[in-house]
Amino acid sequence: MQVVRLSMPLFFIVLSVAYALLILQLPQATLGDPLAPIYFPLAICIGLFLFAIIDLIQVMKEKGEKDTEDLQLLVQKSTLITIGVIILLCLAYTLLFDYAGFLLSTVVFLVVLLFYLNGLKKWRMNVLVTGIVSFSTWFIFSHLLEISLPGFGG
Amino acid sequence: MEWSIIIDGLFTALEPMNMVWLIFGALLGTIVGILPGLGPATGVAVLIPLTFGMNPVSALILMSSIYYGALFGGSRSSILINTPGDGSSIAATFDGYPMTLKGQAGQAMSIAAMASLFGGIMAIFGFIFLAIPLAQFALNFGPAEYFMLFLFTLSAVVALSTGKMIKGFVAMFAGLAISTVGIDLQSGVHRFTFGVPHFTDGINFIVIIIGIYALGEVLYNMFPKKKGQQPKNDQAIGSKWFTKEQWKRSLGPIFRSGPLGFFLGVLPGSGGTISSLLAYSTEKQLSKRKDEFGKGAVEGLVAPESANSSAAVGSLIPMLTMGIPGSGTTAVMLGALVMIGITPGPLLFENSPDLVWTLINSMFIGNLILVIINILMVGMLIKVLRTPANVLYPIVLVLSFIGAYTLGYSTIDFYLLIIAGLIGLLMRVLDYPVAPLILALIVGGEMEQNMRRASIIYESPQAIFFASPIATTLFFLTLLSLSYPLILKLFKWRKGTGTGASM
Repeated sequence: MQVVRLSMPLFFIVLSVAYALLILQLPQATLGDPLAPIYFPLAICIGLFLFAIIDLIQVMKEKGEKDTEDLQLLVQKSTLITIGVIILLCLAYTLLFDYAGFLLSTVVFLVVLLFYLNGLKKWRMNVLVTGIVSFSTWFIFSHLLEISLPGFGG
Repeated sequence: MEWSIIIDGLFTALEPMNMVWLIFGALLGTIVGILPGLGPATGVAVLIPLTFGMNPVSALILMSSIYYGALFGGSRSSILINTPGDGSSIAATFDGYPMTLKGQAGQAMSIAAMASLFGGIMAIFGFIFLAIPLAQFALNFGPAEYFMLFLFTLSAVVALSTGKMIKGFVAMFAGLAISTVGIDLQSGVHRFTFGVPHFTDGINFIVIIIGIYALGEVLYNMFPKKKGQQPKNDQAIGSKWFTKEQWKRSLGPIFRSGPLGFFLGVLPGSGGTISSLLAYSTEKQLSKRKDEFGKGAVEGLVAPESANSSAAVGSLIPMLTMGIPGSGTTAVMLGALVMIGITPGPLLFENSPDLVWTLINSMFIGNLILVIINILMVGMLIKVLRTPANVLYPIVLVLSFIGAYTLGYSTIDFYLLIIAGLIGLLMRVLDYPVAPLILALIVGGEMEQNMRRASIIYESPQAIFFASPIATTLFFLTLLSLSYPLILKLFKWRKGTGTGASM
């Protein structure tokens, strides 16, 4: 559990180091103070690094403390699998969206997600929700609000 | 003050199309608020794309009605199933749910709705008299003052992350770091764009907001349900109307908590959660029936409801007059306003008085409509609670993706959305406050530009802090807000209590 707790401060430490490296590669400004675009990010980088280190120390000190209910639920295998599947489906939706367009990719995404979450027994509800949500959002956004959503083939 | 402008605003608010958006937003907001896990910020964030094809007045009416509709709705789920929709509805569980257990759910909901109505109305009057002077005062602000104001806002939000200030700072700096992505407006230097043209305008903060609030919320709700969180809809509603005795006991708390909530709402960072909790503890201190609190005391329900509602109106003042979002929801709204071409700031009141006063009048009408919705449609609203989570959350996911897509018409934003969702989930589980990250992300760009402009004017960075009496005052307020938790700790230590006033 401590690994999960440490993940966030470590992530922010890595982020601040990567950020520092990127700041060093920033080109100088040709107008005014050549280093002007660097000052603000640099101050942020130092702040992020320092507070992430303090946070890391605090989290390390908490070792042995009772885990919160949320943390216990997160590290359960079933929760991790559900979240993992949802994220994978979201990524698949992202890849499909450009090629298949909004309507087809949303139908596929929703139907797979609903069947995964509700099972085969509730097939009527899954199909109905997929149909209603996909077509009504398509109609509302594309026709009523005139917001262009990609059609078939991107 | 020109009352004719206010009257014109009333007529504009009463136009049929605006009324349709108002009722639609109030109903939608109530439903969003009732559904456990979906708060006003998520509600507004997910529904932002709806406002893109609208005129600015209707868009603002829709967003604000969703906002206070969700606040009303949030307390419904607090009262009925002991599950607050968001932080500002927590206090409604203390006495609202015990009232439900006593078979007084209907009475609890109707009196809470009346408390929200009166809290909202008091705050609207506060808005009418305070917003213009504040906007005129804001005209004195130059780059140094704005920079200091942003600094103070961020420090206040971090300082109010009680018990997790370090994590608040980490979140704030992370938000500021994201805000630096994109082309630097003063020098034209591309910063952290990785050669991706989509990032030259920076990372759209609404994508991050939708990711953290909506996707993060969906993932969080995929956790197995905790004990005591299972919706129970078998509670008897009882009478839908409160008694004369209950109303008599409520009047004092409603009229004390309304102004309290309003002033806390105006302060950056305070927001609905703190004002409702403070109103609750204040009423408990003042009450002759202290022992009834927590067991279904009507005062314990109406005080936070009145404060919460008026804080929501109060928090719109710094957002509209100075472009300073004081809470997560107003941050989301500010982002949406900018997207639809409204620039909040002191000149908004001079350049678009119709917009501002239509909004104020719509808030007044909206509060009345919400009371009707929440009292007459109690039975129907309770059915909303029965929406299976496994149906609701996939729909929220699709709306989030549409929202992200319509902002930049690129699926690159989908990846950012997914990453933000995962970060939002981890931040929630590991107790990192989200508000500092969101606020920093939104004000970061402006903060940097003002800092650089001010350092050119005053020729040294440290001179910014003492550029004017306003800047110096804000500098000391920043120091005070950051040292406030330490002072409080010291004070408690000297008193030897070790704990705060119990709720």
